[in-house]
Amino acid sequence: MQLIAFRVFNHRHYGTKLRGNNDKDYIGSLKFENTGITMGYEELFPPANMAWSGHAAKRFGSPFVDVFTDRIDVDPIILSHAAVATGYTIRDFYEKPELGIHCVSYISEMYDLLPVTHWFFSLPWVTELGLTLEYKETLPPISTGPIISEPEEVDKLEVASMSDLRKGWTYPMYKRIYDYVGANLAQTLVPISYGFDLVGAPGELCGVENLIMWTFTDPDVVDKLIDVYVDTSVNGAKCMAEDFGFAMLIVGSVLANNDIFDDASVEKFSAKKMRDYVNKSFRGGAGPQLFYHFCGNHETSYKVFKDNLVWSPLTVTHIGYSGQNVFPSDVLRQEFENVTTCMGSVDTKLMINPNPVKVYEQSKEQLLKGRDSKKGYILGSSCECPPYTIPGCMHAMVKAAQDYGTYGTW
Amino acid sequence: MVSYENKAILEERGIKESDVEEVIASGTKIKNGASDVLSKKRIGDVTYYAMANGDVVKTAYSHKMSVGAVVNVQSDSDWVCLKCNEAAKEGTADVEYMGVSRSGPAIVCPKCGDAWVEEYLATKTVAVAEGLFEAKRA
Ligand SMILES: [Zn+2]
Repeated sequence: MQLIAFRVFNHRHYGTKLRGNNDKDYIGSLKFENTGITMGYEELFPPANMAWSGHAAKRFGSPFVDVFTDRIDVDPIILSHAAVATGYTIRDFYEKPELGIHCVSYISEMYDLLPVTHWFFSLPWVTELGLTLEYKETLPPISTGPIISEPEEVDKLEVASMSDLRKGWTYPMYKRIYDYVGANLAQTLVPISYGFDLVGAPGELCGVENLIMWTFTDPDVVDKLIDVYVDTSVNGAKCMAEDFGFAMLIVGSVLANNDIFDDASVEKFSAKKMRDYVNKSFRGGAGPQLFYHFCGNHETSYKVFKDNLVWSPLTVTHIGYSGQNVFPSDVLRQEFENVTTCMGSVDTKLMINPNPVKVYEQSKEQLLKGRDSKKGYILGSSCECPPYTIPGCMHAMVKAAQDYGTYGTW
Repeated sequence: MVSYENKAILEERGIKESDVEEVIASGTKIKNGASDVLSKKRIGDVTYYAMANGDVVKTAYSHKMSVGAVVNVQSDSDWVCLKCNEAAKEGTADVEYMGVSRSGPAIVCPKCGDAWVEEYLATKTVAVAEGLFEAKRA
């Protein structure tokens, strides 16, 4: 299946369509070749363990409502690993989102993680702004362009309205995913709208090299480009809030990290835009849950966020790295515990190292540094868990949380 | 005497006229560029707000959580604290509900440390958050 999109400038709406190459292409169901049998993905999985789900839901609520159940939660960022661990492919995860999210639910129970489901890749809303995405065998969908190559072109780029988004690709897919979850995995349903990487995704619109160069040569153009992406993402959040009554927001600073930008640029192009995204989304009825994800190296840039971001009563903040190392949970705690639940990191590189004790030791270290955070602590992974994450390594994180994160034992 | 632009909203939101009058008479106030005055007062276990322009009440709303100290002062807002005659800012304040202390976005006065929750937050974000607290603490 190939996703075709085309950009039309001059006050036109961008058309997006999915093209199926043959009758093996489906949305929402699998067809077994030569059998004529089509089944819904839900038929591929045993029923969820509702007792586990209820317990995990209480545990998940612990850091938010100060009723402490069991232990600190482990919430590694699992995406296509869920599909791989269930016997499917990386491509299946992205190309068949309902299957993907069901895999996430299934293996979350297996690993004893969170009782909520998610499905995601890093380029929401870009097809509506003119990019074409292509599914890959071993990667999330990638952009094949066309990119905006001249700063002047940015002026012609327009925000996709709520009705544009409803006719586009990203939103109908999310609507479908959450309708599927509501029908089949209702106990795990938290509708999530992704602003995600408010610098990285616009970077795809013009090419990352251009974006970085323009931050020096044409900062106003970068500003405008990011604003178009922000406002489009806000409209996405508003669609979800309209349809589901609320929408958790996940927004990150990923490309905007210290490997590429100085702190002032992270503040200007990322933190302030994240504030704008959340403010406008809240005005549109989205929230109240917020997840801030600072991926990559935030060695010093972590300091620009506290005074710029919106802090709702249900916020989690997560930082990946400080230089080459995982971001230390004591620094995370010190900076953020007054305004948010803190999520610490275990280095995802360790998750494919056949040495579970390394994962265990690092998890322990982060738990000891972070577990007393005033508004609660969650143990996460520095970035997405690799698709071929070793189950024994995942278990080592959970085991560390049992040993060093059981409430009432320290 | 005040008049109401939309009296139906009071009933919808379970707010009594006497509460609105009390908030306007003795609440703490901020004023915006359009001369709307937002008054706030905690009465019992509820914080009530009334926004009026002159004698006309434009809207009223409430939240159950209590708003405490200012955590940080962030960006400029359209509001001025009438007690201090000082520019109020967008910022973060401590909030407390059912014994749980968290943070929430608010309009804050850097001088007197008072904080006001705007209508869109009180009626949507905060209302949903309060519902989640109630469900989880039950
Ligand atoms: Zn004041």
